[in-house]
Amino acid sequence: MNELRNVGKSMKRKDGPDKVTGRAVYCQDVKLPGTLIGRILRSPHPHAKLISVDTSKAEALDGVKGVITIDDTEGIKHGFVETPRYPADQEVFARDKVVHVGHEIAAVAAVDEVTAQQALDLIEVEYEILPAVFDPHKAMNEDAPEIHPSHPKVADKEPFSNIGGKTETGWGDVEKGFEESDYVRTDRYESHLRTHGYLETQVTLAHWESDKLNVWTSSMGAFNKRAKLARVLDLPYSSVRVHKAYVGGAFGGKVDLYTHEYAAARLSMLTGRPVRFTASREEIFSAYRHGQPLIVELKTGVKKDGTLVAQELRIINNGGAHRGSGVVVVFLAWGFTMAPYRIPNLKYEGYSVYTNYTVRAPQRGHGCPQVRFAIESQLDTIAEEIGIDPIQIRLVNAREPGEELPNKDNVHQAGLIDCIKIANEKTNLLEKYGRDRKSPPENSSIRRGIGIGISAYMGGTLIYPNGSGVIVKMNDDGSAVVLTGAIDIGQGAETVITQIIAEELSVGMDDIKIIASDTDTTPQDIGAWISGLTYVTGNAARQAAHNARLKLLDVAAEQMNVLKDDLYLEDKEVISKSNPDNRLAYQDVIAASVANHRGDTIIGEGFWRTMRDEPHHPSLATTKGRWTENYAFSAQVAEVEVDIETGEAKLVKALTVHDCGFPINPALVKGQIDGQVSMALGHAFMEEIMTKDGYTLNPSWLDYRMPTIHNMAESDDADVITEKYEVGQSYRTKEVGEGLVSGILAAMANAVYDATGVRLHSTPFSPDKILKGLKELERQKSA
Amino acid sequence: MDQIRNRLEVDGKKSRTRLLELKVNGETFDITAKPRVMLLEVIRDQVGLTGTKDGCESGTCGACTVLVDGKPTLACITLAVECDGKEIRTVEGLADGDKLNDLQEAFLDQGATQCGFCTPGMLMSATALLEKTPKPNKQEINKALEGNLCRCTGYNSIVDAVLQVSDQGVKAKMQ
Repeated sequence: MNELRNVGKSMKRKDGPDKVTGRAVYCQDVKLPGTLIGRILRSPHPHAKLISVDTSKAEALDGVKGVITIDDTEGIKHGFVETPRYPADQEVFARDKVVHVGHEIAAVAAVDEVTAQQALDLIEVEYEILPAVFDPHKAMNEDAPEIHPSHPKVADKEPFSNIGGKTETGWGDVEKGFEESDYVRTDRYESHLRTHGYLETQVTLAHWESDKLNVWTSSMGAFNKRAKLARVLDLPYSSVRVHKAYVGGAFGGKVDLYTHEYAAARLSMLTGRPVRFTASREEIFSAYRHGQPLIVELKTGVKKDGTLVAQELRIINNGGAHRGSGVVVVFLAWGFTMAPYRIPNLKYEGYSVYTNYTVRAPQRGHGCPQVRFAIESQLDTIAEEIGIDPIQIRLVNAREPGEELPNKDNVHQAGLIDCIKIANEKTNLLEKYGRDRKSPPENSSIRRGIGIGISAYMGGTLIYPNGSGVIVKMNDDGSAVVLTGAIDIGQGAETVITQIIAEELSVGMDDIKIIASDTDTTPQDIGAWISGLTYVTGNAARQAAHNARLKLLDVAAEQMNVLKDDLYLEDKEVISKSNPDNRLAYQDVIAASVANHRGDTIIGEGFWRTMRDEPHHPSLATTKGRWTENYAFSAQVAEVEVDIETGEAKLVKALTVHDCGFPINPALVKGQIDGQVSMALGHAFMEEIMTKDGYTLNPSWLDYRMPTIHNMAESDDADVITEKYEVGQSYRTKEVGEGLVSGILAAMANAVYDATGVRLHSTPFSPDKILKGLKELERQKSA
Repeated sequence: MDQIRNRLEVDGKKSRTRLLELKVNGETFDITAKPRVMLLEVIRDQVGLTGTKDGCESGTCGACTVLVDGKPTLACITLAVECDGKEIRTVEGLADGDKLNDLQEAFLDQGATQCGFCTPGMLMSATALLEKTPKPNKQEINKALEGNLCRCTGYNSIVDAVLQVSDQGVKAKMQ
């Protein structure tokens, strides 16, 4: 009776059959008659004044139905962040000047693609080239070209130029901390530019019907898209409907409002016809948003036994040409610093600096891999210097269950210590560590190394729309329809929600049909981009089902003439515990409810929000305020092989030991882990957006090396289960969809060191860097 | 016959538009297409089968893989006119009505589909492999699927799906 039947089990994906038969409808598959094709004219210059934009020849071209520029917009700004301190800062087209290659200048809608492209060629733009800046340190200089005025509240006290935002925080006294330390060291780490690599490019189809805009768009949350689209179009939210379509991968890159979405909408309103924009793969590489390369300056002081005493971080984010999520990443980087280990004294400052690169987006991990790479690399170096092992230095500093963090969050049942111990035991890390470095194999150029990295990640924090609602409608036959705003971008949201509702309602997975991610028919949802869907929307789903369950029990108690406490639910029946022969099928309960309760067909509703007592998210500038009630911890081990003749390194084997709370669907959790390990090995060894003067030099999969099946690594996992699931009770699941790109990246850096003795301070861990490091070691040896 | 089918005459002038006969998943379609039109566009827009995906339009991601006379082919860089009279199979042709075939089932059993965008191409490449090599080893699987990018799964579950369907000791992971 209390055994879990649906959650905690690896149920097959709800959307699986559609996806293996080609029936799943993605944005590119939605077709409407009379659809016009849209294209965007983009700046070829990284920084230039717009002297004139003449669209008259394009407008006169046969087959062109609409051309828009900044003059056709409502002039309303938008931004990834829209707060009093950091107000919306971006217009949908360039006004007066362009600030990055690919900056949108005009958009056309035409009868076909060839005509649309011809129209772009007929738009005459006169530019006055301005000096551009790409290095964030140079951009901070007083004499650097000004991309935007620095944010005023920062500029008042900061001597630097081009500051989009700053996070400044800390506690204790770091100077005193360093004095009291037995060992102090300073290092600098750098990460590089990578793209998200979603296979479906960005597609939007918009169709204006007299007073309603219908939109199908590649997204990570329909409600955020609706809010932003409605605002820049100056329409009420009720006039914008974002429909569901399957999403071909996102990884952070499809959160924000993009100009092609605005253009599709506006051009449909102007032409009265549906308009579709499809970004080409080259456009995605060259003009769309990528992740955020961080420079991390890190000073750390420890006691002889490895206990952290003080840490000082200065983080510089090459933030691109608008604020984007740059100010968020420098805030998050603080959180990813302080969550896993106790740091009694911390001084942190993070700058997001405007440069003439494309705008930055969140990218799976959103700052965590960059920060953990730095901290975990340095920690291994410190451990070696003071003569303790890499497991010991982590265990002495790891947060214990129930600890309160400096921001007043609690780590609750943190499983970090178990994660570290299990990771060590399962891989024999300490036995293998240092083997090839100390006694290199004689007849081979291959060196094997092992390394560990840990991380912690928050889930479901407060960002618009802050909470989720779910509705469960019981049908006359006892089956259920679920309305949820959640979007399944591949992670399995619809499956997980179905499992929870099936469990709470004691019905089968097949008895439940889901209507998802439609702003007009489903309740508001936080979206698939703050690592909180399973927790926030999942708890809303649980509550909605529970609400329906209570109604079923009320009516059944009446009908069966027993007390409610005597009843339980099983396989679509309400059964009396004291007399199991006394039972009523759901369909009879529902019929009775309609007959005796003024037509009340049974509908359950549920809502959830992280940290109900907190008014809003913490301050991005000061970190004040609580962040989340869900911290997931992990320890990841990488085993790598390095060819010391070619410098080529690869991940051979990964182990992820994680504390995701309670896995609703263990196989979906494993799918997230495998995908993150693969993405991280691309980060470590393969992928890099190469640029010159703001141009992408490798805008294709041929030249941007994303892992193929040949680069697959063995990926094992172990789940430290710290929470439990009980029917009718709220639960705490924790993050598992993005934080795990972090520890494994650091683990690979540490494993490359273990294999070769080469300590790398920047990603990617490319052959040239490894060979250079090996040469330097040779030189030191002979000197 | 070929001439009549291949070239339309308008007002005594030979038009560049061609008439093609494509056999798609066993059904014959008469198609008119300009010579520059790619097979992908014809399958998606004229035949109306949108299961085959457009991920890069440059032959680099494999999402558009279909079988042309049994051979895995990138539909986004294959001219439709080259496929006149040929037999084309797409993801929609794998299942028998609502009954999925064993490979499709294996993908679901292993969690080999996440966002699902690479799945149609993966399935077609794997189908071609299994028709030629019923029990492929890992190297053969890697070789057959090397042109199909997947960003979600890390490929492990996809390899397991092919091993499962070819009866090589891999059991279902999902129920």
